[in-house]
Amino acid sequence: MEYLSLFTKSIFVDNMIFAYFLGMCSFLAVSKNVKTAAGLGLAVIFVLLVTLPINYLLNTYVLAPDALIKGVDLSFLSFIVFIAVIAAIVQIVEMVVEKFSPELYSSLGIFLPLIAVNCAILGGSLFMQQKDFLNIGEASVYALGSGLGWFLAIVSLAAIREKMAYSNVPPALKGLGITFITVGLMGIAFMTFMGISL
Amino acid sequence: MDAKLKETILNPIFKGNPITVLVLGICSSLAVTVTLKGALVMALSVIVVCGISSLILSLLRNTIPGRVRIIVQLVVVAMMVILVDQVLKSFEATYAIDKQLSVYIGLIITNCIVMGRIEAFALGNKPWPSFLDGVANGAGYGLILIIVAFFRELLGSGTLFGIDILNRFGYVPNNLVILPPFALILLGCIVWVQRSIQKDLQEK
Amino acid sequence: MNTNNNVYTVIYTTVIVVIVAALLAFVSQSLKAKQEANEKADTISQMLTSAQYGTKAEISGLGNAAVLEKYAQEIDKAFVIDLEGNVLRDLDEMEVYSPKQLKRQNYNIKGGPNKTGEPELPVFLFKNGRTVVPIYGAGLWGPIWGYMSFDTDLKTIGGAYFDHESETAGLGAKIKDDPSFQQEFVGEVADFSSKNVFEIVKGGAPKDAEGKSVVDNKIDAISGATMTSQGLDAAIDTWLGAYAKYFMGNAPKKQHCGKCGHHHEGEEVESNEVEE
Repeated sequence: MEYLSLFTKSIFVDNMIFAYFLGMCSFLAVSKNVKTAAGLGLAVIFVLLVTLPINYLLNTYVLAPDALIKGVDLSFLSFIVFIAVIAAIVQIVEMVVEKFSPELYSSLGIFLPLIAVNCAILGGSLFMQQKDFLNIGEASVYALGSGLGWFLAIVSLAAIREKMAYSNVPPALKGLGITFITVGLMGIAFMTFMGISL
Repeated sequence: MDAKLKETILNPIFKGNPITVLVLGICSSLAVTVTLKGALVMALSVIVVCGISSLILSLLRNTIPGRVRIIVQLVVVAMMVILVDQVLKSFEATYAIDKQLSVYIGLIITNCIVMGRIEAFALGNKPWPSFLDGVANGAGYGLILIIVAFFRELLGSGTLFGIDILNRFGYVPNNLVILPPFALILLGCIVWVQRSIQKDLQEK
Repeated sequence: MNTNNNVYTVIYTTVIVVIVAALLAFVSQSLKAKQEANEKADTISQMLTSAQYGTKAEISGLGNAAVLEKYAQEIDKAFVIDLEGNVLRDLDEMEVYSPKQLKRQNYNIKGGPNKTGEPELPVFLFKNGRTVVPIYGAGLWGPIWGYMSFDTDLKTIGGAYFDHESETAGLGAKIKDDPSFQQEFVGEVADFSSKNVFEIVKGGAPKDAEGKSVVDNKIDAISGATMTSQGLDAAIDTWLGAYAKYFMGNAPKKQHCGKCGHHHEGEEVESNEVEE
């Protein structure tokens, strides 16, 4: 039950895009059509699911005060450790996927380098640090949930943008401008989930 | 100063603005623009981080192994960010602001402006132009941040820099303006204005 | 130079990481003292604010050194108690609890897997007669904490100051930024015998004919910030609940008040100590 509530909460209530506005750059850049959006979304889920538990373990057993050596607080290194883990994992995943599944690589491959600098991934690890998860299971569930939330958000924006191509938007607002405003309105809609406790 | 250098500095501030034209670094522009003070500190932090990490990586550009390029870039940027965070925490005057910006200072690491300019410019140019490019892009980002924060603080709290402006005339602060989605709508409007002036930026 | 060689790549990365880590460790060590001093001064100014020595802006505006000096002048006694209200030990001179320490105590009060030991709760007695205690809990986005002060009857709230890590600016953040919200606490009374020691009510606390809040243990929630208000309510209940035995055990006796007709503040503080 705990897991289920954490899972639902991380998808809707704590949505990475609409509640925290993390990972906006690639969210706006790669949401022109549903298919590529879904590809990037899947990649984000995957990378979050791999990096967050690893960072959780590092945070609990190495970085936290007194974790490694008594009296030593390494938490000032957490940014750098998290981002290094993320960048390394992304690089490894890229190499593995390229070697074993060239098809997947050609559909996902171009997004992987983008993900290392996706704020949602680093944000996930930083929020993990704040939330004091009790075990690695909770951290993984949180990773899956927030990844899914991000996936949902980018796919729905892409769907809206595909339809919007047929609308009559003022020329200066076309493209980026109207996308900003659409995301703003979607964000307001998502605020109805805010504060629901499960 | 020669024309190319001038172009390097002026371009990112308006014509090639990182936020409204290149669509980089949106995340932090939403969270820190509730007050002008926060936006100003964030803008300065990004300018420092962006300028100095561009400089360092431009100096290292011929020695970096291709396969670990991204990791090396991230490590250098992360180092700069931690330094800025630690310094802000150590001064009495900035301690409170650092507390307010908390997570978002850390997220400068993944602010695409920093990484984007390093990838696109610093790795292929000499140190001095790279440094200027970093600073100018940081400034272009900061400019948008400050415009957004100006409207959000004025309409959302009726104040500027915490000093009462509108409330004394019986203005009731608008809570909608303070919520993050409104920053996006405001950004949309800024893009609208900019593209009405610069017609060549309009998308088809 | 062949920069794609494996050995070169590994050595290069290692060297960069070691240099960066060493630099950061050095900076973090050398700035640590200053950072801790800032945090301490901030904590102390929050306590002074709740004990009504001025507004937060006034007190913080004095600068770190003056804040510490003011605290040293005004603090009467500071000690640590357990859940039964027994004094465990005196706090060292100038010792305060950082938000991190409050977080640990919060786990200890609530129990569960994060508990590290029995709660050790700090109590601060100021020379103006006010007793200041901390509270800590979860808001909507992150932790919230703060200090509440009580008058010599150990029931009437003298003042309150709250802080937060990441509540929504302009809504939940009002617990910190809106002095009028903190002002609502002043003059209300905590009900230490109840489980709901203090309530932050959505939709309005009871008002008298003039529209003033009735003196009870209820105040209005912040509109638009339901979750933060609920979180603050829960944090206050948890912490004041943990202090309940101390407050009830040390409150001036009613008969005593009856005899002399009114409070003799000095005397009562004295008699409290005898009881301890």
